Amino acid sequence: MSFNPLEQAGIPVDEQFRNWSELNVTPYDKATVDPYTRTRVILMNGIEVESIIFSHQFARHTDHPELKRALATNRRVDAQQQKAVNGLNPGDQNPLETTVGYEQVAVDLTAWLARHEPDPMIKQALDFALLEDFDHLYRYSNLYDLLYGGHADEITQHLTEITPGRPTIVEHRHPHDEVRTHFETHTVDPLTRMHVMTITAAEQQTMNFYMNHGSDWIEPIARGLYAEIALIEEQHVTHYESLLDPLDSWLATWVAHEYNEVYLYWSMLQHESDRRIKALWELHLNMELGQLQVACDFMRRLEGREPAEMLPGTLPDTPVTFEPNKDYVRRVLAEQVDLRADGTDYVPVGDLPADHRYFTYQDTVNEGGAPSEQVIDEARAQKGREYRDETEGESPVPDLREPAASR
Amino acid sequence: MPTLIPTAESGARAVPVGLTHVDPAQVLLPTEHEAFLGGTGLNGPFVADLLSDMTAHERGGVALYRSVGGRTNNPVLKQKYGHFEDQTVEHVEVLEALVGRLGGDPGYVSPAARATEKAGLGLIESTFLLGGSVDLMTQELVMLDAVLLAEAKDHANWSGLAQLVDVMPEGEVRDAVREAVERVEPEEDEHVGWAQHMRTKLISAQVRSGAVQSMTAKAEEMVARVQGLFS
Repeated sequence: MSFNPLEQAGIPVDEQFRNWSELNVTPYDKATVDPYTRTRVILMNGIEVESIIFSHQFARHTDHPELKRALATNRRVDAQQQKAVNGLNPGDQNPLETTVGYEQVAVDLTAWLARHEPDPMIKQALDFALLEDFDHLYRYSNLYDLLYGGHADEITQHLTEITPGRPTIVEHRHPHDEVRTHFETHTVDPLTRMHVMTITAAEQQTMNFYMNHGSDWIEPIARGLYAEIALIEEQHVTHYESLLDPLDSWLATWVAHEYNEVYLYWSMLQHESDRRIKALWELHLNMELGQLQVACDFMRRLEGREPAEMLPGTLPDTPVTFEPNKDYVRRVLAEQVDLRADGTDYVPVGDLPADHRYFTYQDTVNEGGAPSEQVIDEARAQKGREYRDETEGESPVPDLREPAASR
Repeated sequence: MPTLIPTAESGARAVPVGLTHVDPAQVLLPTEHEAFLGGTGLNGPFVADLLSDMTAHERGGVALYRSVGGRTNNPVLKQKYGHFEDQTVEHVEVLEALVGRLGGDPGYVSPAARATEKAGLGLIESTFLLGGSVDLMTQELVMLDAVLLAEAKDHANWSGLAQLVDVMPEGEVRDAVREAVERVEPEEDEHVGWAQHMRTKLISAQVRSGAVQSMTAKAEEMVARVQGLFS
C-alpha cells in the first residue's frame, strides 16, 4: 500500500550513523543469491552514489553554514548507506561477474521503466538505450566465457535472455546526437521524473564501474571491451541526464533526490526475498524519510516554497520491480534495432545521409576494429561457438541470429 | 488559495519549444493558444504568454517574501514582508482569475514564465547560497536587494499592462484587464516604493553608523543592531 512520505518522520538524521561492524555487512552468497537481489543491490548502490555526488556538487555551490552542514550530514549518512549496500557484493564475485549483474540491471530496470512510463518520448528514450545495454550483456557474457569458461546464465538464472541487441559497434554516436529534449518540470508526471532520475543514476553507476574496472584485466580484449562499453555508458548518461529539466532549483532537486530514494527503497522492500537484506531496505527507507524531512525543511525556509505543492500526494502504487521482461525486450528489438539518433530524433539508419556525422564518428572510433566484435570472433575461434542464452527461441532479428557455422 | 507551484496534478500545461518536451497529456494545443483573445485584434498567444510570465513572477514573489520574511532579524522588515506576501498571493489569484475570465488556462506555463521562474529562483538563491560569507547586516541588505529587484520587474509588469489597457479596444477584455490593473497596481506602487525607500534607509543607517561591521562582530551584537534598525 502506498503512502505520503511527507507525513512520515522516519529516523532523525542525527540518529542514523552506524558503526563499522554495522557497515561491514556480510555479503550474499553468490551461488545461491536471487539474481534480482543482486540487481537490487547494484541499483541501490548506484542510487546512493548519485545522491552523494549530487550533494557534493550542491555543497560546492554554497557556503551557507547551516545548509552546508546539513548537506554534509545527509551525505555522510548516504555514504554509510552506500557502504552497507555495496558491501553486500561478495569478494568472490569477480568484477566481470558483477558486470553481468550490472547489465542485467540495465536490461530489466530499463525495460520495466519503459513498460510503466506514461510519457511516450521518455519511453522511447528508454527503449532506445535498452537495446544497447541488452547487447552489452551478450558481449560481456562472451568475455566471461572466454576468460573463465563461465556461463553467465548461472548469474542471470535465465531470467534475462543473453543474445545480441543493437550491436555495440553501431552504438557509437557523435556527442551531439546524444542530447535529447527534456521534460517540462511543471507538467511532468511525477512517475516520469522518478524514472528519469533512477535510470540516470543507474547508468552513471555503470559508467563509473566500467571506468574503474576496465584496467583490472591483463587480457587486451577485456581492457578493450570495458573501454568501449564504458564510453557507451557515458553516452547513456548524457542521453538520460538531458531528459531532466534544468529549471529545477538546487533545493528542489535535493528534495526530489530524497523523495526518489524513499520510493526506491520502498520498492526494493516489496519484492525482496532475502529477509536480512529486506531488513536493510526497510532501515534505509526509514533513514531516507528522515533525510527527506531535512531537505524539505530547507526548501521551505530558504526557498520559501512548500515541497508538498511540488510533490505528489502519495508514492506511486506500483513499486519499481525487477522481473523478467523477455517478451517486451524481444518486441522492442524487432521493431527498433535499426534506429539511430539524429539530433534529438530517432530515425532508421537508412534515413541518415551518407555524410551524417554518425558515419564520420563511426569511422573514427571503429577504425581498426571494435573489441565488442573481436570478443565474439574470439569466442567463435576458441570455443567453436559464441555464448548465448536464448530461452525464448532464436533472435527475432534474422541478422542477429547465430551463424550456423558457429552453433 | 491560488496555485503557487504548478504541477501536472494541479493542471499545469505548457508548449514544447526548443529542447523542452511536454508530456502530450499536458500540452497546450496550438489551436487553444492561438484562440486566446480571438477576434479582439490582439496578439492572443503573446498576451497568454505575458500573463503566464507575470503569474510566474508573482509566484516567485510569494516564495521570496516567505523566504526573507522567515529569515530577517528586523521586526519592521518582517512585518512588511509578511504583509506583502499576503498581497502577492492575492496578485497570483487576480492573474489566475483574469486569465480564466479571458478564456485562457490559468495552469498554462509559458516559455517566458519558465525563464522568469528561473530568474526568480536565482534571485532567491542569491539571498542564501552565499550566506556564509556575509554578516547579518549585509544579509539584510542582500534580501532587501532581492525584494527591490523583484518588485522593480513586478512594477514594470503591471504598469506595462496598464498602458496596454489604453490601446485595447473597448469591450470585455479591456474591462477585465483594467479591473485587474486597478486592483493590483496601487499595491505594486507601494511595494517598489517601499523597497526603494527601505534600501536607502538601510544603507544610510549603516553609512552613518560608527560601529564596525565585520564578520567577526558578535552575533548577538549584530542581531541587536539589525533588530534596532528603523525603530
